[in-house]
Amino acid sequence: MNTSKDYDVIIIGGGATGAGTARDCAMRGLSVLLVERHDLATGATGRNHGLLHSGARYAVTDHESASECIQENMILRRIASHCVEENDGLFITLPDDDIAFQSLFIDSCQKAGINAQAIDPDYARLIEPSVNPELIGAVKVPDGSVDPFRLALSNVLDAKIHNADLLTHHEVTGIIRKGDRVTGVELYDHQTRAKVSYHGKIVVNAAGIWGQHLAGLAGVTVNMFPAKGSLLIFGHRVNTMILNRCRKPANADILVPGDTICLIGTTSERIPYDEIDNMYVSTEDVDVLIREGMKLAPSLATTRVLRAYAGVRPLVAADDDPNGRNISRGIVLLDHQERDGLSGFITITGGKLMTYRLMAEWATDLVCRKLAVEKQCETADNPLPGSEKNDFSVKSATRKIYSGSRVVQMSAQDRHGTLASNIASSDMMDDAMVCECEGVSIGEVNYAIKELHVANLIDLRRRTRVGMGTCQGELCACRAAGLLGEALEETVQAKDDLANFLQERWKGMYPIAWGETLIESQFTSWIYEGIYGLKPENN
Amino acid sequence: MKFDTVIIGGGLSGLTCGIRLMEQGRKCAIVSSGQSAIHFFSGSFDLLSRVNGQEVTNPLESIHSLPSEHPYQRVGQANIARLAEEAPQLLDRAGMVFAGTAKRNHFVLTPMGTMKPTWLTLDDFTSFAKNDKLPLSRATIVNLQGFLDFHTLFIKDGLTRYGVEVQVRNVAMAQFEAIRRNPSEMRSSNIAKVFDQGDALDQFAEKVNKLGKESDVIILPAVFGLFNTTVPAALKARINKPVVLLPAVPPSTPGIRCQIQLRQRFQELGGTHFLGDMVREGKFKGNRLRYVNTNNHGDIQLEADHFILASGSFYSKGIKAGPYGLFEPIFGLDVDGENEREKWFDKQVFNNQPYMHYGVRTDARFRPMINGQPVENLYAAGSVLAGSNPLKEGSGAGICLLTSLHVAEQILQDQDDEERYI
Ligand SMILES: Cc1cc2nc3c(=O)[nH]c(=O)nc-3n(C[C@H](O)[C@H](O)[C@H](O)COP(=O)(O)OP(=O)(O)OC[C@H]3O[C@@H](n4cnc5c(N)ncnc54)[C@H](O)[C@@H]3O)c2cc1C
Ligand SMILES: Cc1cc2nc3c(=O)[nH]c(=O)nc-3n(C[C@H](O)[C@H](O)[C@H](O)COP(=O)(O)OP(=O)(O)OC[C@H]3O[C@@H](n4cnc5c(N)ncnc54)[C@H](O)[C@@H]3O)c2cc1C
Repeated sequence: MNTSKDYDVIIIGGGATGAGTARDCAMRGLSVLLVERHDLATGATGRNHGLLHSGARYAVTDHESASECIQENMILRRIASHCVEENDGLFITLPDDDIAFQSLFIDSCQKAGINAQAIDPDYARLIEPSVNPELIGAVKVPDGSVDPFRLALSNVLDAKIHNADLLTHHEVTGIIRKGDRVTGVELYDHQTRAKVSYHGKIVVNAAGIWGQHLAGLAGVTVNMFPAKGSLLIFGHRVNTMILNRCRKPANADILVPGDTICLIGTTSERIPYDEIDNMYVSTEDVDVLIREGMKLAPSLATTRVLRAYAGVRPLVAADDDPNGRNISRGIVLLDHQERDGLSGFITITGGKLMTYRLMAEWATDLVCRKLAVEKQCETADNPLPGSEKNDFSVKSATRKIYSGSRVVQMSAQDRHGTLASNIASSDMMDDAMVCECEGVSIGEVNYAIKELHVANLIDLRRRTRVGMGTCQGELCACRAAGLLGEALEETVQAKDDLANFLQERWKGMYPIAWGETLIESQFTSWIYEGIYGLKPENN
Repeated sequence: MKFDTVIIGGGLSGLTCGIRLMEQGRKCAIVSSGQSAIHFFSGSFDLLSRVNGQEVTNPLESIHSLPSEHPYQRVGQANIARLAEEAPQLLDRAGMVFAGTAKRNHFVLTPMGTMKPTWLTLDDFTSFAKNDKLPLSRATIVNLQGFLDFHTLFIKDGLTRYGVEVQVRNVAMAQFEAIRRNPSEMRSSNIAKVFDQGDALDQFAEKVNKLGKESDVIILPAVFGLFNTTVPAALKARINKPVVLLPAVPPSTPGIRCQIQLRQRFQELGGTHFLGDMVREGKFKGNRLRYVNTNNHGDIQLEADHFILASGSFYSKGIKAGPYGLFEPIFGLDVDGENEREKWFDKQVFNNQPYMHYGVRTDARFRPMINGQPVENLYAAGSVLAGSNPLKEGSGAGICLLTSLHVAEQILQDQDDEERYI
């Protein structure tokens, strides 16, 4: 890439918002650079529920968010079908809850355009056998599940198709200003440890909760309100529909199924801004999540917990209220020229994963106004790469291209949609299985390394789910590390990478280290440290 | 059914106890529910490799620096020295030849291409006297095409740091096409089965001989000799360069072979082996365990004068961790370990993990306790014991072999005492 190139727009943050903004800007013909300090979807985007909200959750308290959600919900089903599971959701009333809330809830949903229908508790038990049998009321809504990793990735892939440039593992360490104009960014490359600068007419701050820091680098003030939420992933899929409590939003009241797992969340805790990178899940958080989760689906009590993790919601404190009493859950678009007299700098934050596309549209509209570009937004109409409709169905298309085994084939198709056809399967080597739990082949790993911006094992896991299954990455990690090391021709780093991967994985396991999880941990330590002789000091 | 001794667990510890007692003419039964740690065996038994993070040269001399609750301290240094001589002899009588001495650790090459100190090494593998230099300058690493559990890249990286010139080669063979067709079948034990019979080994050796002409050694994955114990020697005879085998798990081919040999030895001595059965509970009379019930035996009780608990650590479910505490699942024995689960772990995965130290609490004679009272005729041996972190110390198999031999001696002594008073 050419550092002297002057981009139309530089976007900071490889979450859904930044990825979506890159796509939108690129589709409108702008020259785009997207920069991300770690990997795609390592911020809130990769650390949430993956709930494709119908908006029902906000219907009573926040009409505007609710109607944004249902509109975007319908759009994402169309444009991101390979990232979405159309599972539907139930809002259940338990004996502890006030059944009177139900009619207010349904009314509010209908006002926001959400199709919410009360159903008989007996019928609810029939269509969702995992539900707490003591429920006294149920409302069906068009909730769904969304895979945020795939979503962010396919937005980036589309941006690249439209000529955008992407730099992952590049951290913005400074915002370059010329007087009252922002003209570029200073970057630190975590892989080569080099500093580089890039210039652009407009810089978009889409750094989520870190947006406060980036605004600071530009010399303006944005007050974020960090609210940490913890979640648990369970080892198999207990429910087929999303389960919510029909009451005011509270702790651990959403159980979302996705792929082969389900997850419960969240807790909500205000944390100081300087702790936003310390995503520790406490024993108490785990206990609350399980206790509350059991009220939605009692079988969670006996289901293995696979991982615990936490994220920080990028909520924004209103400008006149730095204490954060008056926080907004809606989308926040700041034109710093108007607000602070600093031109060439825009912040887009707040909102939700659900509304990333709309946020991107707002931000891009503003960029286009500033650059006098007239082209209209098309992101709601054009499907994302992987979700295109073909003349013949996705399934038969991939089956044609694949000679590979069925498990591998089906899993790859789930993960990459129509893009699965890019995965090599020409010989037996390509089909050999790297990760048995998740059905990841050598062909898929090599495709990810070549095409999907993978710099290390942890990135690879986000692209392919290698090491995400019930064994939590025991031996597939080592296999994948070998392939990655060969492909990147970096033998020395490969061991570091493996050690880092095991540490990262442990972070999600120690809060729930009992039963099978403790057994797996002990086994993994014996294999890697005892048999293989892997030590952090080798590296 | 009545035995002199019933042993719960058929891993390295249970089998060692069983063989020792049978060799002394006691009638034993082993009940074993499943896979044991030896299925993943590296090829070396560790005695003591590190104390307080420092590498140990002479394990016997370093035992006194261990904490007093450590199983070695409780067996006693003199006993350890004596039993450490006996252990390889017992293994030898079962048909396994190990090199090494407890007075001085030797070194083996790991699959990361690094050197690791250890006590006894199976003769499939290569022992080195020193860890700062390798007695070779050019090595050829040969893998089987499509085999993903042999990480040539890591070996090469490690060896390169020792100044060794390394080339990596793949060998494709028609014999493996069939297993490669199913993408998850190309695993070490399936490969070993192919080499166990027919002419695959000859063809393989021929190909390797062509590839490794320029090298001092050939490095291969340890996928030789699963059921056929002659294969490793045959391989070395056919390859015209010294061969260094490195562990390729899961599972461990030499590990499975050792387990089979130990079991055969036990059975040839007349021992009864209930494989795939699980001890569910025991019946006590006062402080004595009278009999145990198992899954497959229904109402038939297994009675014995003595019982040995060799049921392993968390990994084998010898002890269990629930969200609200630790427990021993068969008898509810006292467990040494913290109650609150946030104390079980360290946030850095490569640090000393507290949970690794946990196990059943025993008295000075290795008898587990219930509410602080030892069970008179129950002993515990091997990785079910508390008091050490075998991974960090490098003491895994050593603790198993030596506490097992020690416990067998306790039982023999017990019985002698009892007989004297009859
Ligand atoms: C626990 C929890 C549950 C949630 N559940 C849901 C849900 O079910 N449905 C839903 O719709 N929404 C949900 N949300 C909200 C949703 O996750 C976020 O609103 C959304 O992901 C924000 O995306 P983003 O791209 O704006 O921010 P992020 O995803 O945080 O992206 C910001 C990116 O900027 C990068 N960055 C930071 N500093 C720098 C720098 N100096 N240089 C370069 N890059 C930098 C970060 O690494 C990060 O990748 C949840 C949030 C949380 C915390
Ligand atoms: C994966 C792994 C690899 C290792 N590799 C090495 C190595 O290379 N070198 C080394 O020195 N040390 C190694 N160790 C350390 C290891 O702990 C010992 O070497 C040793 O093999 C453990 O033997 P054990 O018999 O005490 O326990 P285990 O091997 O765990 O055997 C316990 C047995 O008891 C059975 N059991 C449990 N409960 C019941 C019940 N209720 N009824 C019936 N049976 C029951 C289990 O199924 C199991 O078969 C390794 C450990 C692990 C976990």
